[in-house]
Amino acid sequence: MVPISYYLILAAALFCLGMFGVLIRRNALVVFMCVELMLNAANLTFLAFAKQNGDFTGHVSAFFVIAVAAAEASIGLAIVIAVFRSRGSINIEDMRTMKY
Amino acid sequence: MNLPTLTSADFFPMLPAIIMVVGACILLLSEVFLSAHSSRGYQAVLTAITAVIAGVVALKMVFEPAREVFLGFGALDPFSSFLTFVVCVALALATLTSAGFLRKRGAERGEFYALMLFATAGMSLLAISNELITLFVNLEVLSISTYALTSFLRRGTRPSEAGFKYFILGAFSSAVLLYGAALLYGATGTTHLTGMVLPLANAVRTNPALVYTGALLVAAGFAFKVAAVPFHMWTPDVYEGAPTPVTALMSAGVKAAAFAALVRVFVTVGPGLDPQLPLTLFSTLALLTMVAGNLLAIPQRNVKRMLAYSSIAHAGYLLLGVAALFATAPGEAFSLLGSTSLGTTATPQAVARAEALRGILFYLLAYTVTAVGAFGVVSVLERREDEERGTAWDLERFSGLAQRRPGWAFAMAAFMLSLAGIPPTVGFLGKLLIFRSAVDAGLIGLTIIAVLSSAAGVYYYLRVVVYMYMRPVPEGAHALERNWMTEFALVVSTVAVVVLGIAPGPVTEWLVQAGHLLGR
Amino acid sequence: MDPSLNPLASYLPLAVALLLAGALALIIPSLAAVLGPKRPSAIKSTSFEAGSESSGPARQRFAVKFYVVALLFIVFDVEAVFLYPWAVNFQSLGWFGYVEMLVFAATLVVGLIYIWKKGALEWES
Repeated sequence: MVPISYYLILAAALFCLGMFGVLIRRNALVVFMCVELMLNAANLTFLAFAKQNGDFTGHVSAFFVIAVAAAEASIGLAIVIAVFRSRGSINIEDMRTMKY
Repeated sequence: MNLPTLTSADFFPMLPAIIMVVGACILLLSEVFLSAHSSRGYQAVLTAITAVIAGVVALKMVFEPAREVFLGFGALDPFSSFLTFVVCVALALATLTSAGFLRKRGAERGEFYALMLFATAGMSLLAISNELITLFVNLEVLSISTYALTSFLRRGTRPSEAGFKYFILGAFSSAVLLYGAALLYGATGTTHLTGMVLPLANAVRTNPALVYTGALLVAAGFAFKVAAVPFHMWTPDVYEGAPTPVTALMSAGVKAAAFAALVRVFVTVGPGLDPQLPLTLFSTLALLTMVAGNLLAIPQRNVKRMLAYSSIAHAGYLLLGVAALFATAPGEAFSLLGSTSLGTTATPQAVARAEALRGILFYLLAYTVTAVGAFGVVSVLERREDEERGTAWDLERFSGLAQRRPGWAFAMAAFMLSLAGIPPTVGFLGKLLIFRSAVDAGLIGLTIIAVLSSAAGVYYYLRVVVYMYMRPVPEGAHALERNWMTEFALVVSTVAVVVLGIAPGPVTEWLVQAGHLLGR
Repeated sequence: MDPSLNPLASYLPLAVALLLAGALALIIPSLAAVLGPKRPSAIKSTSFEAGSESSGPARQRFAVKFYVVALLFIVFDVEAVFLYPWAVNFQSLGWFGYVEMLVFAATLVVGLIYIWKKGALEWES
């Protein structure tokens, strides 16, 4: 059996990948996918701990996180479409209408 | 299988949220049966009435004894009930200002009000959440509704840009919070806040890295939501780009709900952690947020953006109150609101904590009526045509307002004095309560910095008043349209700001109750 | 060898099959590449689209209506996830669970009526 720590390390790696992706990527859709990656890393952590502890909470949590992520995805994609329609690009560098 | 049973008493604390969700569904369904040209004036009124009903129900619940509901997933206590009342006030006032705002832009739709109601229902549920996953889901209910509201006006580049920034950073912070919750779950084997305390005390010894990483990630997630420095970067852009009534709801309601959840999480699990950790954390955040928020607001000539930075500064004062909750060496307790009803067994620490809780709640109420009113004045002065150029919120707009609309100018002056914390306004009383509880908690140095930074804030608040009363009306100033609903909201806010500042009246009684957080 | 002694022993035929399949997959294309005649032409080097004529590059923009349908699908599809645990425990949850699920479904129906009347489900508009 694969030890729990492997799952946790994988989840931590995914989380960091997503976090750095949000901070450095320039394409709005890729940034958005990185956020989803972070949510899924949290999900994996929940499931790994649930398996270790042998209780239901972690499994149930995963259900709710998936549902929330879907709602977030639909709003997020709608906003990305709105951004594209208003300026014809989804590059984050272009979003500089508001300045100090 | 042994199934737990739920009774109607379990659903009782959800009543305000249920009222708002039903109202939202009615608005949503009524919208699809209307043609594009039908009259929609009733929608704002219906929303405001729903908010008022929910708020009254929440006030009734302040006097309910604190207890766990939904098998510990929720907590009904005076603290959460009072907070629900505050967000309902924010919703009612913001809705009244949005009717005229949306009509000017031809964007009056039932969806807008439905989203406002959904967001507020999420805030109310967030205040009663007593379990990490419930908390996350409710946080998302309110966040997702606000993302949609931010980009509701689809014309122009600003709303979609603001919506995107808010969405990405909001989703990012939610993910950070969720990952922290997952780590805390791993360390303790439960997601129930109350059940977490004992396992947490063990886990701190066996696996401190896991516990502290989890707690810090949860705190960072909340810091994003309440816009604490250094997690505030999104705030000015989002507040500027969002429709003004939505900005009002965000700055008052979202912030209040996020503070409620933050307080509940850290006060409940606090005993399992090293008591020094929350104190250090929130003191640092408070220091940075107060100073940076005030300094960044000073050079702003864009009033909407200035109010955004000012909301950061006010989050700093609230964080000072939060830090006071965790003070380990409280000084001599001095109760401003009369004797606390904690009984004779109350330790000085419990008394200080109840005072700090009251301070936070009163400050949230004070900030809500003031900020929503101020954004209301901003919203009646702006015109759609100027938004793209970014001049819609320039300080020049306020020049000579006292001659053109003395009522509006008086209201705005009251709001500015209240934000600056000058008596006899509600903002002064709020600051007094927070600072007093911080001094009682022994945070003398931090309180001095808070007083000094709020003195710096007086400059940029009074600048608006000076423009309104001492500058001449600019040439070619556009006509100012009146709207009875917005003006009604302004009257209510102004009366609240002045009257609560002089005689808090029944609010004191509610607050004495509301110092109770479940189990503390 | 007794399969009960080594649990991996029962996978031996699978391993043989994998090896054979892998070897064949390598040998046949390389034989074809070595032995086959090569007469390239413009027609042959275009991408193969099930026999019909190529209609341009694949990296086109899609109409927004695809996204709208996809968004609605995601939301309603994922909400169905909550039906499964309820269905499995239907007996023990009893009437209370039934009513709870009715409330949940009613909420989804409100959403469905909304998108329906808004015309989000109309393909041609």
